[in-house]
This record gives sequence, C-alpha cells and structure tokens, in this order.
Amino acid sequence: MNFQKKRCVAMLLAGGQGSRLLVLTENTAKPAVPFGGKYRIIDFPLSNCVNSGIDTVGILTQYQPLELNEYIGNGQPWGLNRSHGGVSVLPPYARSKKSEWYKGTANAIYQNIPFIERYDPENVLILSGDHIYRMDYARMLAFHEVHDADITIAVRKVPMEEASRFGIMNTNPDGSIYEFEEKPKQPKSNNASMGIYIFKWEVLRKYLVADENDPNSENDFGKNVIPAMLADGQKLFAYEFEGYWKDVGTISSLWEANMETLGLNPAFNLYGDGVAKIYARNYALPASYIDTGARNVNSLIAEGCEIYGEIRHSVVSTGCRVAKDTKIEDSVIMPNVVIEEGVIIRNAIIGEDCRICSGAVIGGSFREGEKRQISVVGKKHRIEANQVVKPGEVL
Amino acid sequence: MKNVMALVFANIYDSSLGQLTNKRTLASLPFGGRYRQIDFALSNLSNAGIRHIGVVTQYNYQSLMNHIGSGEEWDLELEEGGLEYITPYSMGITNTFRGKLEAIYAASKSVLELGKEEFVILADAAVICAIDLEQVVQAHIDSGRDVTVVVKAGIANDRKQLDLAVSLDEDGEIADMAVDYAAPENYLAAMGIYVMRKELLIQAVEECMVHNRYRFERDFILQDWADGKLSVGAWEFGDVALFNESTEEYFRNNLAIIDRNIRHSLFRDDRTIYTKVRDQVPTYYGEGCEINDCIVADGCTLLGTVENSVLFRRVKVSTGAVVKNCVVMANSEIGIGAQLEYCILDKDVTISAGVKLIGTPEHPVILNRGDVV
Repeated sequence: MNFQKKRCVAMLLAGGQGSRLLVLTENTAKPAVPFGGKYRIIDFPLSNCVNSGIDTVGILTQYQPLELNEYIGNGQPWGLNRSHGGVSVLPPYARSKKSEWYKGTANAIYQNIPFIERYDPENVLILSGDHIYRMDYARMLAFHEVHDADITIAVRKVPMEEASRFGIMNTNPDGSIYEFEEKPKQPKSNNASMGIYIFKWEVLRKYLVADENDPNSENDFGKNVIPAMLADGQKLFAYEFEGYWKDVGTISSLWEANMETLGLNPAFNLYGDGVAKIYARNYALPASYIDTGARNVNSLIAEGCEIYGEIRHSVVSTGCRVAKDTKIEDSVIMPNVVIEEGVIIRNAIIGEDCRICSGAVIGGSFREGEKRQISVVGKKHRIEANQVVKPGEVL
Repeated sequence: MKNVMALVFANIYDSSLGQLTNKRTLASLPFGGRYRQIDFALSNLSNAGIRHIGVVTQYNYQSLMNHIGSGEEWDLELEEGGLEYITPYSMGITNTFRGKLEAIYAASKSVLELGKEEFVILADAAVICAIDLEQVVQAHIDSGRDVTVVVKAGIANDRKQLDLAVSLDEDGEIADMAVDYAAPENYLAAMGIYVMRKELLIQAVEECMVHNRYRFERDFILQDWADGKLSVGAWEFGDVALFNESTEEYFRNNLAIIDRNIRHSLFRDDRTIYTKVRDQVPTYYGEGCEINDCIVADGCTLLGTVENSVLFRRVKVSTGAVVKNCVVMANSEIGIGAQLEYCILDKDVTISAGVKLIGTPEHPVILNRGDVV
C-alpha cells in the first residue's frame, strides 16, 4: 500500500486504570470519565489533535475498553472519520504465537509499530488520556523541527515547593535537556514534564526495539526510554507550555478541574476563544427545562436536563433530572443522574446513571482552611431515601 | 418496516409564516430550542424503521439541505434507499409545484417507481408530534382501506382553516370530508399523514395529472372519496400534535413545550427526536441570573432574568436584561438592561442595551435574522 507520508501521527495512551479515581473508574477507563457537563476526558487531547492539524490518532486502550470504543466510534464528532488516517482504537491484539497485554507505555507503542509505519511519519506525538488542557501541538511540533530534536518534551513551570512530586527536566539556556530527575528530593528546577512527547519516528523506533529486548526494562517512557536516550547523548529539548493544564487523576483534582470551568472568566474556559473548540460526541437530547424558582447561580447545566431544584456553583451534566426542594452546591453531577425531592448534595461527585432517592444527604459543608472532603457516589449507584453519605465518603 | 417508504413535504404553508420563512423552508424553521420542524417527521419515520425517504422541497431549501445533509442522524445514509431530495428543477419541471400531486408526479418516475416498497407514507413537516407510525401502517393494512388518514381532535375551532377536515360517525367511519374548511369543533383535523399502497398513489397521480388536478387533498382524496372510488379510513391520534401553520401558532407552539405534559409527549424516553448535532458547551448560568420556566439549549450565557421563554443555542442574556414570553433563536444577544416581551428573535439578532420591545401573544414582535436593534 502506497500511503501518503504523514508529518506527525499521534498516539494517545488511554489504557490507564485510573485506580486513584476509585469508584468512578470501576467500570470505566479513565479517559472515558465524564468532565465539564458533556465531555469526557479524552475529548481534550483528541480535540487538541484536530485543532493542531493532526489527523491521524491511534488510541491505545487496554482497561475497560468497551465504553471508550463505543464513545470514539468512527471519530466523526472530532472530524476524524478520514479515509487516510483518522482515529483508530488499538487494543492489545492476539498474535499468532501469544497475546500480550501492554506491559508499559513504551511497550504499548512498540506493539503498534505496524500501525505507525502505515503512515510513514516523520514524527510521533505521544499523549496521555488523563489531562484537561487546551494546547496547540503544531507549535510544539514546529519547535521540535526547528531544533532538529530527537525528542521534545512538553514542560510547565510548577511551584518550586511542589517540584519534588513531578518528573523534572533540567535544561540548558537553549532549552536542551541535560538531566531528567523523577520526583527529585532536591529539585534543581521546576520544569515538570507533562507526559507529552514528540519523537523523531526513526529514533523512537530504534529505542523501542532496544527497550523491548532489554529484559530488565519496565518498558516505560519516563523510567526507561527517555533516560536511555539522554544517556546516549541524543538531542532532547524541553518545550514550555504556559496555559491551563490539570492532571485529573485523583478525586480532588477531578473535582477541582470541574469547578475551574465555572465563572465568567474561569481558570479553564470550555468556550475557548472560538478557535480551539473542544469537541464531544453529542446525543439526541432535547433542550433543558428550568422550572420556576430554579435560580442557577454560577453553574454549568448541559442539555437534556429537567431542573426543578436549586443549583449553586456546580456542574450538571447531560440528561439529569433534579426534583424540587433539592439543593446542589459545589458538586459535579455526571450524566443521566436522577435526583429526587428534598435531597442535599454538597462537595460531591455523583457518577453516571445514579439515582439519589428523596431526602438523601450527600457530603457536607466546607470551612475555609480545612481540607475539602469530597464525597463520591460511583456509577449506577442507588442512594436510598434519607440515606446519609458522609463528607469524604466513597460509595 | 422495509416495506414502507415515505415522502415528506417541506414547504406547504410558507406564505402564511411571513418573514420567518423568507429565507428558509417551513420545514427548517427552528423549533423547541434545538430542533428544526422537519426533525419530528423524519424522526417519526426513522423510529418506525423507514429507511427510504424523499424530501419534497421547492425553494429556499439551502438551509434545509444543510440541516438534513445526507440524513445520517436519522440513519438514512444508506447505499440503497436512504434520503432523496425532490425539487422541481431536478425533476425536469421548470416551474414550482402547484400542489402535492404535482410534486408526487415529479417523483413518481424516479423515487416512487424505483423503490421496492409496497406502501408509502406521506407526511407534512408543519405538524409536530411523536407518533408511532408502525402502528398506523399496521392499522391501515388491517383495515383493508385504500387510504388511511391520520386525524386529530381538538384542532378545529371554527376559525382555523384546515387542509382537510373529517367528521366521523358512531362507528368511526368518515361521515363528511371537507378541504380548506374552517371546520366546527366536532370535526377532526388531518395531520398531513397518509398511508396507502404505492401503486395506488402512482396510478392516482397519473390520473389526476391528465385532468389538471394537482391538489392532493381536494383533487384526489376528497374527490375520489366523494365519487365512491376511494375507501378512506381515519386513524385518530390521541397524543400531542402541534400545527405550526401560521406565525401565531408557531409562536404559541414553541412556548407550549414549556408545559410538562406537552414536552413529555413530544420528547419521550422510548422515541428519540433526532436532529443535526451542533456541538456546543453546556449553558452557563451566571451569578444573579434568574431563570423561570424556560427551555434552554446548550451554549448560552445567562446573566439576566428569563421567564416562560425558549432559548436556542448560544443565546446571550446580559446582566439586568429581562426576557419574558419570547422565542429567541440561535446566536442572538440581548444587551444589558434590555426588556423583551412576546418577541420572536430570529437567528443572530442583537438587541442593544436598554432597548424595550413589547409584543402581544397574538402579534409577537418579530425580528429578522441578523437584525440589530
């Protein structure tokens, strides 16, 4: 097959189990977790690809892939239903001799070398499926090409006191990386890796093969491949990203990122500037109905909802029903949740398809200066009438 | 229902909807916050498993084609059957259709005769309802009639002129039939939905055409029924049907879906209404906004007060603005402190700060697409 050469192919690592998201990922891959009223986490990197002119994306799935496969479909919502390229979901597949799970991030790409080679790309962009951000990868790619780098790693400045929680890239004045430290006790800089890499494909391919042949390797980009490249004196560059970026791998960061979409000038504006739109799969739902007396202050409410209760500073996702005399505050209600009368929900995340029966109380108030306790109700749970879910409790 | 195809008529009443249909067909008029009128007819057909639909349209159909496209939202993007557009010029006719029969005649050689289906449903985009057409077709077959017409009680009121009105006797048989009739309340209004064998329709249009008969209800259904040549049965629809045949009806019916029973009759869990997807962010309800009894689509920014209104996508209501009893179509912006009552804002309208516009339920103020006030 004689395919047109691609400048850059994106590989999106969506296999993470997301165990720190607890019940929210019991039956859902982390990238398929709902966000911002109508999106799923994977919509952000996928939309970034489209908005950056990258039209070939491989999505590597492993854990609970069914829902994600269905969500991605033929890629039409993102304009990725292309005849050459487009989006492909790549689960680990059975080979003639053995069937292998993806052992690590690098191994996941290694197993898909045949997929990448179909497009004969100059570069490969590696993304993860658990970050909320809006980024123009085309600028990073231009930076990568100008510096003729073998690998360019996106970094962002984090507060120095937090730097020891991240993979830190120590750079020369020209942006080249001379040292990589994973969670250093005494960080020398605050350039934290965002887990976004652009590799020259011919270089990456060589390292993937070598890494695969090393029985001691964990087959991980951060732990094995990048340190090996650094040790060999390859050209590594750090590309600094300044916009909003959030790893939503924990309950509190997922809650926070949702709250940061609220307000007239939110920290993360889902509306964007009209150029870099975030796309999502849309379902045929009617417009929402807002009843008399419903004063929805500083909240996002998506389509297909019927709201009779009172909502403050919350995100209410598609297809939710909120009955009268119910109060929701500082909470994230995921899609298709039914909330009956007289319920109080504060500082909570309610998973998809839950039913909260009348009189239930979920979560509690939060006092300035205390650690916020987020209550979580997992997908498809039923909270019985008058049941109490304590602050911080996870069901 | 593989054995059934359908024809949907997109512009029948355009002239009575005035400026709202200046640049679009009646079928593509926005309805209910995120729909176009034709979505209901197409979804009813799609939900009945009908996969071969001809959309008959005469003029101003750019927005209609843009909306329906290849019909994939209704599962009509198919190798065989699927969606076909029937327009006068594409059918080799150099003037517009004078009536439905001419349109059907134009379509008969290609769309109707080439289709393998035995039955055909004719449907009208002006009537909004969620109807189980499988049940209607089955009732038609069981009845052994030539034609089944779907009728609705409670529409006739002595004033509204009905395309086709029928009265029924005690056995539910049609006792009287009339066209263009401001029928009294004991009559039932035809909803523009007819079921018959396709072969019968093809023969009828040929017969009608050579006798210069071009209006479907008057020249075919009524005349042949009155002459005893056609057996016609009435199938009464018991659920909500909204007839949007005038500006006043259009305005009233848009606001009607605020009523829970009407809304739940049109938007049911077991029968989805499909539409072209426009990907928007969820609506933002700001500090201090007050929203009472409203239908709100995605992508709006609401900072003011809105009551008993329908807001389409990406509407902006600024701080201090008060909007009551209005239909506000997509991308309209209402400035700080503006006051609107009984208005229809077409798409992309800008209302400047402090402007006050007050209509009445019978005569809403209508602003054209792109107007700046």
